Amino acid sequence: MTQAGATLQAFFLDGTHGKRFCLLHTPPSGQPVRGHVVYVHPFAEEMNATRRMAAKQARAMARAGFAVLQMDLMGCGDSSGHFEEASWETWVADVALARRWMLERWPGVAWLWGVRAGCLLAAQACRQDHQPPRLLLWQPVLSGKQHLQQFLRLQMAGDVVRGESSRGTAHLVHLLEQGESVEVAGYRVSAALAQGLARADLEALPADTQVVCLELGDADSGTISPALSTQMQRWQNSGCHAQAEVVAGSVFWQIQETADSPAWLSTSLRSLGCATSEVAS
Amino acid sequence: MKTTELPVLMPCAGETLVGVISQPEQPSALGLVMVVGGAQYRAGSHRQFVLLARCLAGAGFPVLRFDHRGLGDSSGARQAFDAIHDDIGVAVDTLQQQCPSVQRVVLWGLCDGASAALLYSGERADARVAGLCLLNPWVRSDNTLARTRIKHYYAGRLLEWSFWQRFWQGQYEWRPSIKGLWQSLQALRTPAPSNTQEPAFQHHMAQALRQFPGPVLLLLSARDYTAKEFVECAQSDPAWKGLLQRPQLQRVDVAEADHTFSRALWRAAAEQAVLDWMRQLPTQA
Repeated sequence: MTQAGATLQAFFLDGTHGKRFCLLHTPPSGQPVRGHVVYVHPFAEEMNATRRMAAKQARAMARAGFAVLQMDLMGCGDSSGHFEEASWETWVADVALARRWMLERWPGVAWLWGVRAGCLLAAQACRQDHQPPRLLLWQPVLSGKQHLQQFLRLQMAGDVVRGESSRGTAHLVHLLEQGESVEVAGYRVSAALAQGLARADLEALPADTQVVCLELGDADSGTISPALSTQMQRWQNSGCHAQAEVVAGSVFWQIQETADSPAWLSTSLRSLGCATSEVAS
Repeated sequence: MKTTELPVLMPCAGETLVGVISQPEQPSALGLVMVVGGAQYRAGSHRQFVLLARCLAGAGFPVLRFDHRGLGDSSGARQAFDAIHDDIGVAVDTLQQQCPSVQRVVLWGLCDGASAALLYSGERADARVAGLCLLNPWVRSDNTLARTRIKHYYAGRLLEWSFWQRFWQGQYEWRPSIKGLWQSLQALRTPAPSNTQEPAFQHHMAQALRQFPGPVLLLLSARDYTAKEFVECAQSDPAWKGLLQRPQLQRVDVAEADHTFSRALWRAAAEQAVLDWMRQLPTQA
């Protein structure tokens, strides 16, 4: 179906332990395809919050000549299975499946586009690549361990909101260490998933990997955070070509009802080498 | 019962809506359309809509979840919850087209999705709507918010031992709270100027509920401001008089639950309540 100039298809792909929900955006008919983009969504509720921005960006990329695949990872979104059945390895395998599927159909320029914790999965999925990959990373999570800790803290916030006394995160960490799963902010996280996330980082990318990072901030100053700056240095030292863009906007991955952040869409298109005429709907 | 899921793309006012149908192997004549509220998308907070849809489909009821215009994967500009009648209509049409067994549907909604479902029933008089399933409906106004805060939050706080402990230990940020209490009191005491009336949508909701002939399930979370405000509004606003006492309305309160039923325990209780209520509904018109 044509959607705002691009073509949209929705379908399920067979993955391990069930089906994965996919949205495929392709350029308007008659327009040559310049390459493809595989989207890797964030962790837990950040995936929901980012949904609209990701959809808008995917449509814009398709209008600019890219085929874009958005796949819901196992136990997430409309894919089969329960969240608590997912492991980090399954998710990495899902990203690999999405890439293979797209490569078969649109060889050529291939981008992996990760958002938040999706950046960790994208990095891990392309560590074994023979071809140096291209990564577009939105507000990347630099440390899986830290991300897990922040996620566990949501439980404390929930306790406070409900007027319950909070026990902190220590008991959750203890349960995970015992191999138990924990329920946080509506998500049951297995010990295996927590372990995989806690070990994840953005290191060990193949030499010559091209990385474009977008970070929220004051676009006029163009100053990136110290943490990202250190990460950029490490990438460059390991032979990657990394560039960072400071982009104005809202914290759209955390807050559901934020204003749109159009600068993110145009900056991403420019990074993919597209002219950014207009970014609509 | 075995179920399958089918993605659907639905044209609506020049835009494309993305949805997913959960189809039972032996589908009932009664289906359900989920109307998403807030800025959530069709999976729901922590996937609760996906899980509920699969649970209902497993019991034989076809379910369609979808993003209305400007939400989630669907294109278009964002719409207010009282401006998505076309979207809901398209969703009901699509569920019937894809599951020909479906003759009538329940509209299910959480928060302002519940408000949207109720407003649709009042606006469209769609004979296919067999029932309404309203979870923590949204009726917010300055007045209801102020009343609810004073009644539940501050009163509760002042009685809580841990609050006083924190207060004396200086761990409690009292300034914003006192300020909040003051603002709440002001909002209550200040008579509304004649040109700023109650938002019309609440009265339309009351009207829609009064004229809706079918069964209604009102599902409320015990620890949720939106639910408390709704009850406050229904008890204090003359437009709502007697509406919660109508025989065709069944009210279920889920103890301890928060706004989105964020624990498996609360989610299961909400699922069971919806399922029990659905099973009582006549499947034929």
